[in-house]
Formats: sequence, structure tokens, C-alpha cells
Amino acid sequence: MSIQIKGVSKTFGSFEALKNINLDIQTGELVALLGPSGSGKTSLLRIIAGLEEADDGVIFFGNEEITHIRTTERKVGFVFQHYALFKHMTVFDNVAYGLRVRSKRERPSKKDIKKKVTELLSLVKLEAFADRYPAQLSGGQRQRVALARALAVEPKVLLLDEPFGALDAKVRKELRRWLRRLHDEFHITSIFVTHDQEEALDVANRIVVMNEGRIEQIGSPEEVYEQPNSPFVYDFLGNVNVFHGRLEDGQWRNGNQADTEQQALAYVRPHDIVIEREKPTEDAVEAKVIHVHAVGRTVHIELKEEKAERFLEAELPKEQYRELNIQTGETVFVRPNQLKVFVPADFSI
Amino acid sequence: MMRKTKWKKHSILPGFGLSVGFTTLYVSLLVLLPLAMIFVNTASMSWSGFWAAVTEPRVIASYRLSFGASFAAACINVVFGVLIAWVLVRYSFPGKRVIDGLVDLPFALPTAVAGIALTTLYTETGWVGQFLPFKVAFTPIGITIALTFIGLPFVVRMVQPVLQNFDQETEEASAILGAGRMQTFFKVIVPEIIPAALTGFALAFARALGEYGSVVFIAGNMPMKTEITPLMIMTKLEQYDYEGATAIAAVMLVISFVLLLFINGLQWWTNRKYSHS
Repeated sequence: MSIQIKGVSKTFGSFEALKNINLDIQTGELVALLGPSGSGKTSLLRIIAGLEEADDGVIFFGNEEITHIRTTERKVGFVFQHYALFKHMTVFDNVAYGLRVRSKRERPSKKDIKKKVTELLSLVKLEAFADRYPAQLSGGQRQRVALARALAVEPKVLLLDEPFGALDAKVRKELRRWLRRLHDEFHITSIFVTHDQEEALDVANRIVVMNEGRIEQIGSPEEVYEQPNSPFVYDFLGNVNVFHGRLEDGQWRNGNQADTEQQALAYVRPHDIVIEREKPTEDAVEAKVIHVHAVGRTVHIELKEEKAERFLEAELPKEQYRELNIQTGETVFVRPNQLKVFVPADFSI
Repeated sequence: MMRKTKWKKHSILPGFGLSVGFTTLYVSLLVLLPLAMIFVNTASMSWSGFWAAVTEPRVIASYRLSFGASFAAACINVVFGVLIAWVLVRYSFPGKRVIDGLVDLPFALPTAVAGIALTTLYTETGWVGQFLPFKVAFTPIGITIALTFIGLPFVVRMVQPVLQNFDQETEEASAILGAGRMQTFFKVIVPEIIPAALTGFALAFARALGEYGSVVFIAGNMPMKTEITPLMIMTKLEQYDYEGATAIAAVMLVISFVLLLFINGLQWWTNRKYSHS
């Protein structure tokens, strides 16, 4: 089912959590709401679920306006960061809950409930744990139970609030892959909230980057990573080095000469930084190697720009690192290979 | 190698022997010894004398009244105590702190004061009594009211922290899954508070069984009608019938012990059933 959000605003006391949000989500999409804490992403999700009411604006599920429809009747699935399982019920009863609370007319028979729950438990690979209680499961298993519970009512929309936030890195990766597979199989329109850019890039079809109650950018993972439309998005999606400089005839020049020329910031990803031993051009920056982290295929190098007291991060392929033979404490020359310039005044190129 | 006892788990804090020894001594001196004296005293009676003393019709009537009224009061306290705890935890309103403080007052008040106050209110000409179509003071209803009054804090104070720690997300999860408000309350919230409510019930019940001061004023103490067991014991003592008094006390003690043991068992069972955290 498609979701349309038009002009939604929300304030908590004097804090503006959401400012005029407009967002269209197509049927079957897997969308990530990405942003730092306090950016309003969870509030937006809770408003879609009906756990919070918007001050302004309307929300449509398909052609139906649901802005004032109660949570109970919205038929959405919701997965909480801290699972929110019913502690006093077994895994089986947890998953069956949504079916058992239906009115007699709509409630499936006991046999059908059992069949459905067993099916879902095998989907999340927890058939053997049906009689256990949530406290006897690991975090990853609990979140899988929560997912099965949400799917039991056959929701048309699945909402996940930092679903993997409380799990350790390895389990998180596994569940992420698993969520994507689940989505490919069932095509439920899904929205998940995360502050982890890697997770959003990895799982979502489309990413909505949020900041301070506003949507900064909407696009595919490639789009938001390769063509960020603001310094915020650039900074939030991956590591970045900022060079202060100026624009000269549309060309960016490094350095802060005290003249009236237009100031500009250049954003450079660590892997777009070139390290050389000889000074190649006037633009190159002199920097001292502070730390080398050489585990894995890429080598992470931390540098300190001597003049500006600024730290830089660079990533080199291992072969190149060996060729250069950089040692900690050495002075090298650094220049950006590819950069994105934002002029502070209007943040356009 | 010497095998250690399996009584305790390994702990970084020493002192198992000392603390258990102290506990045993303390409980023995403070609880077990005085209670044992009751049985020692009654042992000096003949079996038939004992039986006659504890099955006297007036005494039997008092057992019925004491246990019945205490049970009724504890039940009332569970329902309204949970309600008050709910209101105090879930809502904020002006005067909340005052109400929160008032809940403890029945603990602090000398029970005789409470008894006199309640009696004045509930007599046929009292502020409240004059509006009621039935008699309250000097009837079992009045006794139940007095026992409810003194037992109120137990349930509230037991349930309050549980509700405070209750994860509201599970409530939201229940609503999202399509459960109505009643279903959410009875299927998600009630199971969480049942163990605490039961403990509160047991405490309120036990307190009511032993209560004397507040009841004697409102009860009217009419033989066969409104005499509670503690009053029977007092009456016997006043007539220097120490043996009769301890005999009744022994019976009271045994019944109370069995009932509390039963409630404890119930608690253990609900704990196993409902809390798996």
C-alpha cells in the first residue's frame, strides 16, 4: 500500500519535532528514515503508526485518509527498538496475540492460528523456541519474534523503529540481510528508522535523510551518497574531510587568504584524498602522519594539517600504501582528488 | 578436596555464615519465641478445656467475622488500591503529591484515632451515616470499612513501583496489533501487576486480621454479631482468663499461618506464570 504524507508538523511543548513534512512512498518500497537523534525520524514513524497525532497535515494509506483513524484500526505492523514483547507470554502466544484479540467474527479458528503462527516461526527460524519466554532468548531472537508478531496480522505497512539498534554488530548485519530478503519475498511497504548510515545504505531502496525536523534529501542510496545536496547530508553519510578555501573563476582554491574572494568549503571523502611525498602543485597541503590503521584491504591514515591544526582522514588501497611506505610521524603532501564545494552563504555549488 | 555446600552461589561479598546465623537468631528471638510462648501457655490446658474455649459459639462467630471482614477489606483494597496506584503513576494533576502522601496516613495514624473518626462519621447521625439508607457503624459493614482504611497503603505501595517500571511500549504494541483498550489492560497490564497486587493483598489481609484499635470503636462489640477475635482475646485477658485468651490466639495464629502460606504459594505460582524477566 502506498503512503502519502502531506504537510505534517508536530511540536512537543516548544520543541518543533517535525516541520511541514511531505513524503510519498510507493507500494512495496523499503524506505529508510535516516538522521541523527532529535531529527524527527521516530516522531514521523510514530505518527504514521498512529501512536502520536500530527498537529497539522494529512496522511493517506492508498486512497484512504487515515490521519484521525485510531492505531488499532490502521492495520500496520510495528517493530520497536527494545522489542516490546509480552514478557508473561511464550513466543507462540506473543506471535498469536494479534490474531487472538480479534473480535469473534474475524478471529481465525484455533487450528488456523496454530498453523499461521508455526508458519511465521519457521520463517524467522524459531520453531524450536515456541514454548520459551522472551527472557530466555537472545536479543536477535527476540527481535525476530517481534517481527513475526508484527507480520502475523498481515499488515499492509511495516514500520520498524531502529529495529537493530540494540543488537551487536554481527547479529545486526545478519538481521539486516534477512530483513531485505523478507521484503523481497513479501513486498510489504516498509519504513525503517535508523541513525546508522551504513544500515540505511545497505538495506533501503530509498533513503530519506532528515535533520532538525526537515527532510534534507530523498533519493536512492547511490544518489544520496554520490550526490549529497547539502553539507549535512555529505557529512552524515560517511566520513568526510572539510577543506577551507575560496572560489576563483569557478575553481576551488585551497587556503584562506585574507581577501574578499568568495569563501568556500570543499568536502572530500577519505578515499578521494591523494597522498604524495613530493609537493605536486601549489594546492597540496602539508600534513603529518599521526596514525596508520592497516587492517584489511584499505589502510586508514590519520593526518594532521600542520598549518591549520586540523585533522584529516585518508584511505588508501594496501598496494599503494606499500609503495608509498608511509611511516607514522612523516610529513607528506595531501590533495583532494575529487571534491564537492559548498559556499557557506547558500550551500549551493 | 573438600566439597563446599551448594547452598550459596559464588559471590564477591563474603559473610554467608555470619548473615544467615544472625538472621536465624534474630527471627527466633523476635518472632518465633513469642509465638512459641502462646503454644506453651495453651499446653497447660486440658484438651477438653482447650476445645471448649475455642469452640464457644461467641468465639466461633468472632472467627467468622474477623476472617470474613478482613478478606472483604483486602479484596476492596486490591481493586481500589490498583486504581489509586494507576492514577498516581499515569496522570499528573494538581495535588498529586498531596494524594500520594495521604495514602500513607493510615500507617502513621494511631488506629484508635481512626476508629473514633470513622465511628463519628458513620453513625446514624454522622456526616456520612445520615445519608446512607442502611446502618454502617456497629455492623460488620463498619468493621469492613475500618479494616479497608488501615489496609489501603499496602496495595498502593506494592503496585505503584511495578506500574512505574512498566514498559509502555508493550501497551503500544498491543494496540497496534489491534487489541482494544480492555484487552490491552487485561491481557498485557494485569498479568504484570498480579504478583505485586497479591503481595499487597496478603499484607492488607494480615494487617486486618490483627487489627484491634480502629475496629473496637466502630464495631459496637455486640456478642455474636460484631465481636472480632482480637476483642475476644482482650475480653478474656480482662477477666484474667489467660489460658482461654492464648487458646484463641493459638487458633487464630494457625489459621492465619495456613492462609498466608496459601497466599504465598499463590504468589509463587503467579510469579512463575507471569514474570519471566
